[in-house]
Amino acid sequence: MQNWFEDKIQLGILLATVVLVCLGIIAIYSATYDAGASAYFYKQIIWACVGLFTMLVVIFIPFRTLQLISYPLYGISIFFLVAVLALGKSIAGSTSWFGIGSLGLQPSEITKVTSILALASYLSDKRINLHKFKNLAVASGIILLPVTLILLQPDMGTAIIFICLLVPILFWAGASHTLLIFLIAPALTAIAALFGTTLFLITIILLLLLLFVIKENKFISAIIFSFTVLVGISVQFIYGRLAPYQQKRIDAFLDPAGDPLGAGYNVIQSKVAIGSGGIFGKGFLEGTQTQLNFIPAQWTDFIYCVPAEEFGFIGAFLILILFAYILFKGVHLASTVKSRYASLVCIGVVSVLASHIIINIGMVMGMMPVIGVPLPFLSYGGSFLLSCTFMVGLLLNMYSNRKEY
Amino acid sequence: MNDNSINQYGKNIFYVIFTVLFLIFAARLIQLQFLFQEEYGVISKENSIRTVSIMPIRGYIYDRNGVLVVDNRPSYSISVTPAEFDIKNIEFLSSILFLDKQEILDRIARGKKYNRFAPTRVKRDVDFQTLAFVEEYAERLPGVAYQIESKRYYPTSAKAAHLFGYTKEISDRQLIEKGSYYKQGDIIGATGVEGGYENFLRGEKGYQLITVDAKGKIVGHFNDGKNDIPLVEGNELELTIDAGVQALAESLLTGKRGAVVAIDPSDGGIIALVSKPDFDLDWFSGVTPTEIWKQLNTDDARPLYNRATLTSYPPGSTFKMLLAAAALDKGIINENWRINCTGSFKLGNKVFKDLHVHGSTNVVEAIQRSCNVFFYQLMLKTGLETWTYYGKEFGFGSPTGIDIMEENSGLLPSVEYYDSRYGKNKWTQGYLVSLGIGQGELGVSPLQLAGYAMVLANEGKYYQPRVVSNIKNKENNNVLKITSKMRELKLAKSTWQLIREGLYRAVNVPGGTGGAAKVPGIAVAGKTGTAQNPHGKDHAWFVGFAPYENPKIAICVLVENSGYGGVFAAPIAGLCIEKYIYGEIIRNKISQQPIITDLKDIKD
Repeated sequence: MQNWFEDKIQLGILLATVVLVCLGIIAIYSATYDAGASAYFYKQIIWACVGLFTMLVVIFIPFRTLQLISYPLYGISIFFLVAVLALGKSIAGSTSWFGIGSLGLQPSEITKVTSILALASYLSDKRINLHKFKNLAVASGIILLPVTLILLQPDMGTAIIFICLLVPILFWAGASHTLLIFLIAPALTAIAALFGTTLFLITIILLLLLLFVIKENKFISAIIFSFTVLVGISVQFIYGRLAPYQQKRIDAFLDPAGDPLGAGYNVIQSKVAIGSGGIFGKGFLEGTQTQLNFIPAQWTDFIYCVPAEEFGFIGAFLILILFAYILFKGVHLASTVKSRYASLVCIGVVSVLASHIIINIGMVMGMMPVIGVPLPFLSYGGSFLLSCTFMVGLLLNMYSNRKEY
Repeated sequence: MNDNSINQYGKNIFYVIFTVLFLIFAARLIQLQFLFQEEYGVISKENSIRTVSIMPIRGYIYDRNGVLVVDNRPSYSISVTPAEFDIKNIEFLSSILFLDKQEILDRIARGKKYNRFAPTRVKRDVDFQTLAFVEEYAERLPGVAYQIESKRYYPTSAKAAHLFGYTKEISDRQLIEKGSYYKQGDIIGATGVEGGYENFLRGEKGYQLITVDAKGKIVGHFNDGKNDIPLVEGNELELTIDAGVQALAESLLTGKRGAVVAIDPSDGGIIALVSKPDFDLDWFSGVTPTEIWKQLNTDDARPLYNRATLTSYPPGSTFKMLLAAAALDKGIINENWRINCTGSFKLGNKVFKDLHVHGSTNVVEAIQRSCNVFFYQLMLKTGLETWTYYGKEFGFGSPTGIDIMEENSGLLPSVEYYDSRYGKNKWTQGYLVSLGIGQGELGVSPLQLAGYAMVLANEGKYYQPRVVSNIKNKENNNVLKITSKMRELKLAKSTWQLIREGLYRAVNVPGGTGGAAKVPGIAVAGKTGTAQNPHGKDHAWFVGFAPYENPKIAICVLVENSGYGGVFAAPIAGLCIEKYIYGEIIRNKISQQPIITDLKDIKD
């Protein structure tokens, strides 16, 4: 029995997830304690139970069945995404929710999971060769279709997560480096261009060096290079045509102190919350920044500053360690499972979780733009918690089936 | 696994990327929570804890009989917290408060300089309608609130504008001068008792530490109020004034320019101090409209000017006792020294006039009948140096040192004064003659003359005049008694008796000039004076005390530009004495009137 359990369950990832979900509930309790939002706390407890139960169920879905239903699940979730655009109710300026009773469900969250499965399924097919343009286009299309639908909602944060999912999986599946540079370089250059011409030029020069190092054919290098420069220049033009709230967020990122009561306000207050927590924190329910609601809707995207303020460095660092543990274990799993499908699913899950963690914590600590991306396991949000625990369930499933081909 | 080499390589790439990112995050955590912890800790405290000062109630003021003369009433102020105020609402706020937009903005800007999280007062003492508007639109006007404050209220008919003084909002200059206790918008005593006893009356502000949420809404007391600093209420003052006498003197001077100063000769306490025309302290208790300020400052009757302590007029005949005291004390004359008054006095080719022909006159009669010729001759006999010396002894030429007000030293000329003004040996005896009857280059204030009356009443004892007798600490009920410094002018008993007899006779014996000061049943002693005024009608003076044997009140009355002291000043002094000694006016109006009119022909 003991051996069977150890063989079937990756206890470390499971425990880390449970601990993080519990910390999340504690943090939400604190954040909503005096904000007249305790309903969120009770809802989250229900979601946590549903999510952890789902995780356990997912572990025992037969491996082959999972592979077989990957495409149908993807199809269904895309259908939902289209439907939500037509029927969904609007929350905070974007249409991304379905009402199911009092608990809303977000198709875009489900699609994250199904997209991983579908892409893994497609790329694990022996007949697929990523050096063929058609196959590459289909692989990218699997991701870009939901990205387009999500951008229509519009939900910039989730769309970015999908992009962050595509690149690592393609890399893992063996796509050419030149191709990946072609995908990444314009994106990075675009961000650099927002910071100003100097950084833009530095990025261009670095790209030039990189192209020399990988010794790609000069013609292709030239195409990549010109395209990147074009993107960088366009960014300024596009920036001017962005929605004002998006412009504000970008501005606030570039200079958080410039507009302390505008979009940069949250970042300043969250830095104050984290910094004032010190080493040991102010104590549970004692964080003034949290308890006095300096950060609006802190229980969603800015949940990380709650443990950081109330439990200090100890709490904040513990959470970082737990996240790192899950990610490292996930990568390790991806490189040890026998099935290519399982390996790609693991990398997909790790990429989605990692991009959420990095963008969110980077934002909360004032190192990244304020993009509406929640923190896995901790942030309030039923669909999101469900999709995260589902993804961990997939990791655990791959572990228990790691010897399968 | 199909392609192991790629995955091994890829795995390492992932490991490196994750390791670097998590190290960066850990470093950032250390930076924020270890290195900047203190800095962010302070910000978070300031974020959530605000200090609210609680204004103590300004001390109540009572008169010598325990009558409340300066009270407090609630008043509502509208304040704006700069950090919370939405500047878009400025037009709306301006229309509610009937206050100029720029004035509100200026006040907010001033408040911001000090603390943008603290409410700054934009309008004091608003009416209920404005208050109701602000309440009603509270939701639309974030950062706008009202505060209950107190304003001064004067319950008795003693208005004592110059004596009580007024309070006003502290100026920027005072903020720098007065140190850290005061904050912008605080009320500070400006003049009179309010100004002089500011440190006692104001109390000490209390401070409450309150926790607020991100919107600045109060969510509770910090640490259950354990760190709060309680306020200390303002001390209560008991004044030496008698509100009844003060009110009477004010009403008697209504429509005139002049002053009344009455002193308790037993301790130097001011019984009444009136300067007219005056102003209404109620104008200053709330907001003082600029028009009123302008009017007060441009009025040529100068209502803000305290005539009781700041004027410097020649004292006229009231000064004759000074010369008599000097001559008697120096042995220059005695009670038997007589002159023959022919109605005028000739020095060289200049003629100094008297109003009557008094005939053979000694010092008592000269005081009683105010014989000028007697004092012309006596002045020449006594000389300037002696006269100046005794003048100083009586307190002229220097401030009295009264506890609350600005005062004028006056002018007591001396040999040095004339030398520097006209040059050595360039001035003659003729310059001195008129000093003998209190005219010429000479200036005294009603307060100085009242002090002089006190010395005459006390046969030499002079108490420094003051207004406050007790300061009561409201916290522990300790009472601080204020007593006056005393100095004594030591003259022979007989000298005092001669002068006092002259003063008694001036009021009570036919032929005296001060009969109008007579009060039934009280022996009043006093001397009239009429100061020549080159700019208009003469100034009427009266100095005196009562009762004669055991003086309880010494008084000086000045009525500017009226005429003879015996006609215009003496009756006022009599009525004040009557009020003070009896506690009421026992003569009815009909019997008062003839006193004033019948004495019209009595000459000074």
